[in-house]
Amino acid sequence: MHAVRHLSFHIEPGEFVALVGPSGSGKTTLLAMIGGLLTPSSGTITVNGRDIASLSGREKASYRRNSVGYVFQSNNLLPFLTARENLLVMGAINGNLKDPASHADRLLQELGLTPRAHALSASLSGGERQRVAIGRALMNNPELVLVDEPTASLDSERGKRVVRSLIDEVKGRDLLGIMVTHDLAMAGLADRILQLHDGAFIGDTRPNSA
Amino acid sequence: MIGLLEIRRRKVQFALIALVVTLISYLVLMINGLGVGLNELAGSALRNFDANAIAYSEKAGISVIRSELSQDTVDAIASQPGVEAFARIGYTAANYVGSDGKVKSAAFMGYDPGTIGEPHIVDGRALTPADTDGLLADRSFLDAAKLKVGDTVEVDIRLNTRVFTIVGAIDEGAFFFQPAVYILRTSWEELRYGDLAGHPVASIVLLKGRDLPGIKGAGFEIVDKGTAFSNIEGVAGQQSTVTSLRVFGYLIGGLVIGVFFYVLTLQKIPQIGVLKAVGATNLFVFRQILIQVLSLSLIGLAIAVPLAFLTDRILRQLPEAVPIAFTNGTFVTTSAAMIITALVGAAFSARQVVKVDPIIALGQQQ
Repeated sequence: MHAVRHLSFHIEPGEFVALVGPSGSGKTTLLAMIGGLLTPSSGTITVNGRDIASLSGREKASYRRNSVGYVFQSNNLLPFLTARENLLVMGAINGNLKDPASHADRLLQELGLTPRAHALSASLSGGERQRVAIGRALMNNPELVLVDEPTASLDSERGKRVVRSLIDEVKGRDLLGIMVTHDLAMAGLADRILQLHDGAFIGDTRPNSA
Repeated sequence: MIGLLEIRRRKVQFALIALVVTLISYLVLMINGLGVGLNELAGSALRNFDANAIAYSEKAGISVIRSELSQDTVDAIASQPGVEAFARIGYTAANYVGSDGKVKSAAFMGYDPGTIGEPHIVDGRALTPADTDGLLADRSFLDAAKLKVGDTVEVDIRLNTRVFTIVGAIDEGAFFFQPAVYILRTSWEELRYGDLAGHPVASIVLLKGRDLPGIKGAGFEIVDKGTAFSNIEGVAGQQSTVTSLRVFGYLIGGLVIGVFFYVLTLQKIPQIGVLKAVGATNLFVFRQILIQVLSLSLIGLAIAVPLAFLTDRILRQLPEAVPIAFTNGTFVTTSAAMIITALVGAAFSARQVVKVDPIIALGQQQ
């Protein structure tokens, strides 16, 4: 049994794509494989001409550190760190970042989090935490931003605000953005919607062009 | 950075771990202090002899109690090539009556003034050949008996009772778990042998010189001080007991500290998963754990060492001194050993860090 098979799609820089589909359709698996968190049992995953599947563990870590910004379903911030420190962690992990402190402050400002910069992440609201997670994903100036159900723990309005912030950041930086969601309202904010079913694409639509 | 910040932000959790490290370090320090203290009691007086070799009678089996040397044998020992200085020392155990009226024991050592057997005086004066009823007492003896320089003490050996005057205090330690007391060797001869004709003139002979240990002659054998010390009755068994306690202390201490950090690492698997998911290497994650292990070990030791030192000071004030003693070496070696065992314990956490699969760890948190 295969979670996904024979999938190929192209995203332009600055484009934000939503991956939708029922539970078990392979959305999160596909996202994790693109992000170098999962290795396919066979075949290749080519991102920007590079075969991710063939990378060693250390190379995958380097790929995630330098090329990928990940926003996880439940934000996964380090609870004992402040919002700002959660962003600065990326500076500690990635020694190549120039002036991570200024970069973090700029991102916090762009995401409207400056007043909450020194609040422990455990004390932030769900929406604030997701925005911090977005900031963390952008800290390493990635080529690719991968987002897994970012609004699962948020109400509809807050969820939309978070996704809009995310889209603004991706577009403003000319990044590639892929968001997994089962919420069609959120998916409607993306440039494209790719529909998955049983590990295969069954649709590729552009909601805003309709 | 993250490791230290976590300690700062999770003060209660890490304070509890630091408390465990402190208590274990304190326990190991006290065991080591007990080892040092028991060794001191067993024969620090022997260790403090100003000699590098000691001669025993041939059939004594390197036992001060059984060793008895005649003047002819002493002369033979003194004439060995390489002997630069020597001193006859007599030993006998004797009872005395303390100021509280209780009968106590002391190790009476007889020596000749002006020889290398003369102890270092810390209070009062040295014995002269005329001080046949004079006595130099170790400070521990004076403390235990609540006596001071100038006081008299009633000494019982066999059926004889003799009154000695304390003319000086020394800091030579103990022998056979009893405080050392020095008297003139001629007085020792009288106490030990009375009017017995042709009696031995010494129990042992202290020697200074080159290449002396290992020499065996007619009626004597020469050993180094280390061999002499380890052959004190009961010392070998005591040392192996203390060494076992010490080893078990380190092992159990290391194990407990290691398990604590291992459990701490297990609790942090979701966090480790996040860090690895965003590109942190195993080394980066392990470095954070290592910083925490080292910080908590140092905090624990920073509390345990002064605590042990303080305990030592308090115990010294007690009327019946507990045989615990600390040296700088005890603190340094115990601290180093605790840090090493903590690091070994942390190494098991490293294995766990490597095994964390970020995608599975993230699933745990969701």
